[in-house]
Amino acid sequence: MDVVAALFSTVYQFGDAFAFLVISCAGLAVIFGMMGIINLAHGEFIMCGAYVTAATARAGLPLPLAIACGALAAAAVGMVVERTVIRHLYHRPLDSIIATWGISLIATQGVLIVLGPTMQGIGTPLGSMAVGDRSYSIYRLVLFAASIGLLASLYLLFYRTRFGVIARATIQRPAMARALGVDTRRVYGLTFGLGAGLAGLAGGLYAPTMTMVPTMGATFIVESFVTVVVGGTDIFMGAAPAAAILAVIRAGLTAWYGQLFGQIGLLVAVIVVIRVLPGGLSAFIRRWQR
Amino acid sequence: MSSLNSPDTTARPPARRGPRKWLARLEGPQTMGHGPAFWAAAVLVILAAAAYPQFANDFTVGNVAYFMVWTFMAMGLGVVWGYGGALSFGQTAFFGLAGYGYGVVSINIGSAFGLTWLALVLAVALGGAFALLIGYFMFYGRIKGVFIGIVTLSVTLVLETFMAQTAGPQWRIGDARLNGFNGMSGMPPLTVPWPGGDILLYSGTALYYVLLAMVVLVYLGLRMLLNAPFGNVLVAIRENPERTEMLGYDIRFYQMLAFGLGGALAGLSGALYTAWGQYITPSSMGLTAAALPIVWVAVGGRRDITATLLGSLLVIAGFQSLTIYGSQYALVVMGGLLVFTVLVTPDGLVATAMDRIGRLSRKMRR
Amino acid sequence: MTRILEVSKLNKSFGGVTVAREIDFTLETGAMHCLIGPNGAGKSSFFRLLLGEHAPDSGTITFCGEDITTLRSFQRIRRGISVKFQVPGIFKALSVRQNLEVAFQHHLHGASLGDTVRRVLEFTNLTGAVTTPAGELSHGQQQWLEIGMAVGVEPKLLLLDEPTAGMSPDETRKTGDMLHDLNGRGITILAVEHDMAFVQQIAHSVTVLHMGAIFAEGSIAEMTAHPGVQEIYLGAADD
Repeated sequence: MDVVAALFSTVYQFGDAFAFLVISCAGLAVIFGMMGIINLAHGEFIMCGAYVTAATARAGLPLPLAIACGALAAAAVGMVVERTVIRHLYHRPLDSIIATWGISLIATQGVLIVLGPTMQGIGTPLGSMAVGDRSYSIYRLVLFAASIGLLASLYLLFYRTRFGVIARATIQRPAMARALGVDTRRVYGLTFGLGAGLAGLAGGLYAPTMTMVPTMGATFIVESFVTVVVGGTDIFMGAAPAAAILAVIRAGLTAWYGQLFGQIGLLVAVIVVIRVLPGGLSAFIRRWQR
Repeated sequence: MSSLNSPDTTARPPARRGPRKWLARLEGPQTMGHGPAFWAAAVLVILAAAAYPQFANDFTVGNVAYFMVWTFMAMGLGVVWGYGGALSFGQTAFFGLAGYGYGVVSINIGSAFGLTWLALVLAVALGGAFALLIGYFMFYGRIKGVFIGIVTLSVTLVLETFMAQTAGPQWRIGDARLNGFNGMSGMPPLTVPWPGGDILLYSGTALYYVLLAMVVLVYLGLRMLLNAPFGNVLVAIRENPERTEMLGYDIRFYQMLAFGLGGALAGLSGALYTAWGQYITPSSMGLTAAALPIVWVAVGGRRDITATLLGSLLVIAGFQSLTIYGSQYALVVMGGLLVFTVLVTPDGLVATAMDRIGRLSRKMRR
Repeated sequence: MTRILEVSKLNKSFGGVTVAREIDFTLETGAMHCLIGPNGAGKSSFFRLLLGEHAPDSGTITFCGEDITTLRSFQRIRRGISVKFQVPGIFKALSVRQNLEVAFQHHLHGASLGDTVRRVLEFTNLTGAVTTPAGELSHGQQQWLEIGMAVGVEPKLLLLDEPTAGMSPDETRKTGDMLHDLNGRGITILAVEHDMAFVQQIAHSVTVLHMGAIFAEGSIAEMTAHPGVQEIYLGAADD
C-alpha cells in the first residue's frame, strides 16, 4: 500500500506541476511562438481572467461559465491592446518587451487603485480525496485533465481548422498570405486575442486556488517564460515536452531542496537551453527528425 | 533611418599623441553636444550642482546624492544597449553582487586607512569580472536579440532567489552574515582618512560632492571612449554585426568587453548604494529592480550618453516625487511613459528633445 | 606564389540539399575571375564557404599557402581577404567617413588612417559626401562606398557577390573600370555575377557552377561557345 501511495504522490506532484506549466504558458507560447512578441503583460491577462472569473462566479454563474467569461474578457482586452499598441511593434521585438512591460505596470497598479489590494476570491471546489495518509485536492486532478484537453484543443485548432491553417501560414509567410488575399492584420489581432484569452483561461482555472491580488500574475510569469523559451516556437513539439521535463525538474528540486531551489533550477534550465539548444526543444526535435 | 547623432561636422584634427588625442575625443560623432555653447552649458550645470548644497539642507542634498548613485548603472546600460545594441535585463545582477561585495569586504577589513575605498574598487572589479564571464558565455555562445534579455534576467533572478535563502547563521563570509531576505547591513560608509578624525561619508553634503565628481569623471571618460575607435566598432556591431565581422573584427570580443564595462558601472552603482545606505538586500536583484534601469534608459534616451545621463536623473527624480506625492499613480505614470516612449519617441524623451533643440539652434543660426 | 586560393574537394549539404559537391578550384594570383551559373547553382554558398560563414562537411581551403578551413570569418579577413556582398553592407546610420574609419581602423591609426580615408574618398568619388549618413546615399554610391571599405586596407583577394546588382549601365561600367584599376594594383578579384556584359568587361576567365559542382572553366569566349553551358542556362530557365 505504501508503494502505491508514494507512487500516486509522485505522479500527482508531476501532474500538478505539468498542468501549471502547460496552462499558464499556452497563451504566451501562442504569442511568442507564432508572432515572436514577448508579452510581459502575460501575467496581467491571467489576472484579468482570474478577477472576472471570481467576480462572475460570486455573482452566481456556475464555475465553468465563469471561467469562460474570464477567458473571453481577457481575449477582448488582448485584442484592444493589439490594435492600439502591439500592432506598431511587429518589427521591433525589443521595443515590444518594453511596451508590454509598461502595460503590465499600468494594469497591476490600475487594478490596485480601482479594486484595492485584494478582492474576494472563490473557494476550491470538489474537495479532496485521501490516498495513503495524505489528502489530495481533486480540483487539481481536474486541472491536469484540463491541461491535456487544452493541448488537444489547440492541436485541433491549429492543424484541423481553417483559421489555424491560415494563422500558421500568415505567421510563417505574411507577404505570401497577403498575396493570397488574407487580411493579415485581422489574423494577427485574432492570434494575439487567442493568446490573451488562453492567459485569461489560465487565470480562470487557477482562480479557485489563489487569492485575488493585483500582482497575482507574477506567480505565473517566470514559469511561463521558462517553459516557452525552453520549448521553442512550436507548442506541441516544444512547449508540451518542455513542460513535462521542467515539471520533473521543478517537482524534484522542490521536494529535495525546497521551493527556492525549484525556482533556481528552472532559471538555470533556461540559461543552459538557450546556450546549448538555441531554438529550444522544438528546433532540436525538428533537426532530430531529419 | 535618420541618424540621431548630430551630423559629423567635426573636422578630423591632425594626429595627436597621448592626452591631447584623448581630449579631442570628448567630442565626436557618437555623442551629442558640440562646440562652445554646449560645453559652456555643461560647465554651468556642474557649477550649479556644486553650489546646490549651499541652498538646501543636508537631508535633501543626501537625497540628490542618492539619485546620482544610480546614474552609473544607467550609463552602463546606455553603453551596452544604446551603443552596443544588446538589451540586458540583468544589470541589477552586477549591482547586487558588487553591493554585497562591498559589504563583505568592508565588514571584514574595516574602514581604517581608507580601506573602504579598496572595498569599493574590489566590488566594482567583482561586478565587472562577473559581467565579463556572463558576456563570454552569451556572446561566444552566439546568443543574441531577445535571448540576451532572457538570459540576463534569469541570471539576476537566480542571484536574487539564491541570496534570499541565505538566512541562517551558516551563511557568512568572514565576519559578514548574508542574512537572506532581510539583507546585509552594518557595513561602514565610505570613509576618508583624515588627521584629527576620519570623515565618514554618510548620506549628506560630503558624499554629494564625492558622487558629483565621480559622475562628471565617468561621463567624460565615457564620452572619450565612445568617440574612440572602440566606440565606432560598438556602433557598427549594433548596426550590422555580420558586416562588422566581415571587416575583420571579432565582434564577440568587443561585445563581451562592452558588457563587462556595463557590468562594472552597474557594480559601481551597487557598491555606492550600499555605502550610501549601509544596506543591501536580495530585492535589489529582483524583477522590479531589474526593469528600472530599462525604464530610465528607454525613457531618457539610449542612443546618446548625455541623454542617458540627463534622462535617467530626470526619471529617477520624477519617479521619487511621484511616489511621495501621488504614490499609487507613480507606477501607472511610469507604465504610461514606457508605452508612450516606445510608440512616440522610441529614441527616448530626453534624446528626442535634445535632438529638436539641436536642430532648432542650427536653423536659427542660419 | 602563383596560386592565391586553392579549394580542394569541398563538400557541403544543408538538410537534403547539396550546395557544394567535390569542388576543386584554384585561383591564380592577380587574376580577375568570375563565377557564373544559373540560379541555385551554389555560387553564393561557395562564397560563404570561402568566407567561413559555414563550415564545409569535408575538403580544404588554402589561402596564400595557409590552410584556412577551420579559421573563423574575421580571422580570414585579417589575412588579406576582403568581401563585398550583394546587399550593401554599409552602416546606414553612420556617416561615410565613419564607415571608412570602421573599415580601416584596426589596420591603421592616426595620420595614415586619415590619409587612407581621403584616398578612398577620391577613388570612390565620395569626397563631397563625407558627412552624409550612408543610408542617404544613392544605391550606386552605397555600392562604391562598400567597395571602398573593402579595398582601403589593400587586401590580397577581393571577393564580390553580384557587385553591379541594381546599378545603371553607366554605374556598371564605372564599377568595371574601378575593378580593373584595383586589379592593376595587385588585388586578385573573384566575383559572382549574372550580368554577362559586366563579366565580359572585367573577367579574364570564368568558372561555371551547376548544381553545386564545377561544370566548366575557361575563358569567356570558350564558355559562350560551349553548348553544355548554354544548355544549363536554358534548361534552368525552362523549370
